[in-house]
Amino acid sequence: MKKSVVLLLVLMLAVASSASAEVIKIGVFEPMTGPNAAGGEMTVEGIELALELRGEVLGKKVEIVVVDNKSDKVEAANAVSRLIEREKVVAIIGSYGSSLSMAAGDIVNKAKVPTVGCSPTNPLVTLNNPYYFRVCFIDPFQGTVMANYAVNELGAKTAAVIQDVTQDYSVGLSKYFVDAFRQLTGNQASIVEMSSYNTGDQDFTAQLTNVKNKMPDIVFAPGNYGESALLIRQARDLGIDVPFLGGDTWEAPEFLTIGGEAVEGAVFSTHFTSEAPVTEESEVFLAAYREKFGREANAFAALGYDAYMLILDVIERVGSADSQAIRDGLAATEGFVGATGVITLDVNGDAVKSAVINQVDGGKFIYLTTVEPF
Amino acid sequence: MREKNKRHVTLLILALTILGLFLANRFLDPYKVRVINLSGIYVTLGLSMNLINGMTGMFSLGHAGFMAVGAYTVGILTMPITMKEMNFFMQPIVPFLANVEWGFLPALIAAGLISALLGVLIGAPVLRLTDDYLAIATLGFAEIIRVVFTNTQSLTNGALGLKGIPNYTNTWWSWGVALVTIWFISYLMRGTYGKAFLAVREDEVAARAMGINLFKHKVMSFAFGCFFAGVAGGLMAGLLGTIDPNMFRITLTFNILLIVVLGGLGKIGGTIIAAVIVTAGMETLRFLDESMDLGFVQIKGIPGMRMVVFSIILIVAVILREKGLLRRPKGREFTYVKN
Repeated sequence: MKKSVVLLLVLMLAVASSASAEVIKIGVFEPMTGPNAAGGEMTVEGIELALELRGEVLGKKVEIVVVDNKSDKVEAANAVSRLIEREKVVAIIGSYGSSLSMAAGDIVNKAKVPTVGCSPTNPLVTLNNPYYFRVCFIDPFQGTVMANYAVNELGAKTAAVIQDVTQDYSVGLSKYFVDAFRQLTGNQASIVEMSSYNTGDQDFTAQLTNVKNKMPDIVFAPGNYGESALLIRQARDLGIDVPFLGGDTWEAPEFLTIGGEAVEGAVFSTHFTSEAPVTEESEVFLAAYREKFGREANAFAALGYDAYMLILDVIERVGSADSQAIRDGLAATEGFVGATGVITLDVNGDAVKSAVINQVDGGKFIYLTTVEPF
Repeated sequence: MREKNKRHVTLLILALTILGLFLANRFLDPYKVRVINLSGIYVTLGLSMNLINGMTGMFSLGHAGFMAVGAYTVGILTMPITMKEMNFFMQPIVPFLANVEWGFLPALIAAGLISALLGVLIGAPVLRLTDDYLAIATLGFAEIIRVVFTNTQSLTNGALGLKGIPNYTNTWWSWGVALVTIWFISYLMRGTYGKAFLAVREDEVAARAMGINLFKHKVMSFAFGCFFAGVAGGLMAGLLGTIDPNMFRITLTFNILLIVVLGGLGKIGGTIIAAVIVTAGMETLRFLDESMDLGFVQIKGIPGMRMVVFSIILIVAVILREKGLLRRPKGREFTYVKN
C-alpha cells in the first residue's frame, strides 16, 4: 500500500515536470565514451554553456537532449535515430568525428531533421545532404591555409609531408596542402618526401630518416596530438630542425606535455583562439566559459557553442521551430556572428570563415595570425 | 511422431517471425526497426562465428576482417556511379569499378563469395595451427585487411571511408538472411559434415582415426563461416550507408564473440537469443545515461552508465548460465550439442 502511494506520487511528479508543453527540443549526439570522448565532452560543455546563456527562444524554453554515440558508427546511427523518433527533436547538433557524423547523415536526411556539425571537417559529411550543415571549415581549406602560410610567411621552397594514413582528416589535409604547395611554388617537385604512419605508432625513425635526407624547408605532419608530439620529439633527436606545421588536432594540452621542449615553434591552423577574440561574441563566450569551468576554452567548446547559437538564431529569424523551416533558415545563413568567427554557409552547408594560426611558444599556444577565406 | 512435432514447432516459429516482422514494419518507428535490423545482422554474425568457434572448435578471431571484405564489396558494387565520383574526390576509383552498379542480392552474394574465397586462402595455411596460435593468426589477418583497406585509396577511398551506399537493408533482408543462416547451419549440422565438425572439435586424433579428413572439414567450416560474415558485413553497409576501415576493429570481433559465448558455444538457439539481447539491451539501457527527474530529486546522467550496468548483467548471466543461456532446452530443434 505504502509502496503504491509513493509510486503514484513519483509518477505524478514525473508527469508534472515533463508536461510543460512549450519546449523546443534540440538533440545532441556526441562521443561521451570511447576513444573520442575527450573531444565530445568539450563540445558538450560549449553547448551546455550556450544553453545557460540563452535558454529561451520565441518565448519557449529550449531543452537539449544529449545522447552518447560511444565513438562508434553503428551506435551513432542508433543515437540519432533515437533522438528523432523518441525525443522528437526539431534539430540536432553533432558530432565530433567525421565518420560518426556520416553515419547519421542518411537518417537525418530521410527524417528531414536539420543537423549542424561542430567539428567534422571531412568534405563528405555535408556533400549531397541538404539537411547537414557545419560551423567549422573543411579539410581542403585548412590544408590550403597551411600551404599559403608555409610559402608566404616562412618562404619555404620545399616541403616534406608525413600523414597519418588511418585518419581521414590527416589524409585530406595532406592532399590539399600538397596541391596548394605545388601550385604556389610553381614546382611539381617541391614536395620532396611523402610518407605515412598509422594511429598508435610509436616509432617514426624510418619516416624521419627519409625526411632528413631530403632536407626540406618545412615538414607538414597533421595527425593526432599524441603521435604528432612524439614524431616531432624524435625528429628533433635526429637533428631535423626545420619548422613543423600541422592542423587543429594539435590544440590539446597533451600535445605540449608529450612534446615538451621539442614542439616549441610548431605552427598549426585551428578554428579559434582564446587569445585574440575574433568577434564580440567570442568575448562573451570566453568570459562565460572561464566563469563556469575555471579554465580557458578551446576550439571544440567554441564550435559547440556556435552550433547551438546558430540554431537558436535561425529559429528566431524564421519565427518557427519547425524542422523544415529551420533547415531552410540554416541554408540561408549569412554573416552569423559566432564565437569562432563570422559564419556564412555555402551551397553544401559548409561554413565559409576565417582560420586562426597558432604557434607553440614557451609551453603555450600563442596566436600568430588570422587567415580570411579565399 | 517426434520428428513431425519438431517440424511443426519450426514452422510455427518461422510463421511467427514473419508475422512479427510484418507488424514491426507496419507499426514501429524507424528507431525500433533499426534495432530489429541490427539484431538480425548480429544473429547472422553470431551464428557464423559459432560455426567456426563453437561447432568446429577453432578459435578464430578474424571475423571483423571478413565483415570488412563483405561490407566493402557491397558498398563499392551497389553505390551509384555519380556517388562514386563524389566519394573518390582525392583519387579516382580504379576504372574497372567506376561504372559498376549492381543490385543488392548479387552484391550480397558476391560479398559472401569473396569473403569465403579469402577464408579458404587464409584458412589453408593457417588452419593447421590450433588454439591460441590460430587465434593470433586470424586476428593478425583481420588487422591486415583493415590496414590494406586504409591504404588502397583508389579502391576503398582509404581512411575517408565510403558514403552514400544505398540503404537497401530492411527487416526482410536482415532477418531473411538470418533465417537462411539458421536453416543452413541447422541443416549442415544435422548431416555428416556437421557430425564430422563436432568430432573434430571433440578430439582431433580420434576424428582422424575414424577417417575424417581434418584439413578438409576445418577449411570447409571456416569458409562457410566467412561467407556469412561477409554477407552480414554487406547488410551492415546497406544499413548504415557509410563505412570506413576503422569500423572493423578487433572490438567488433569481441562483440560477436560475446554473443557466441553468452549464447553457448555450439548452440544455435542460444546464439539467436544472445544476439537479440546484446543488441537490443544496449539500446534499452540508454535511459541510464540520461538525467533522471524524479520530481523531488534530480540525478545527473553519467554517460557510459549503461555500459557499466550492461557489463554487470553479462557477468551475472555468465556466472549463472555457464553453458549458455539455453541450458536445458525442452525441444532440441536448434541445439545440436549435448553438454
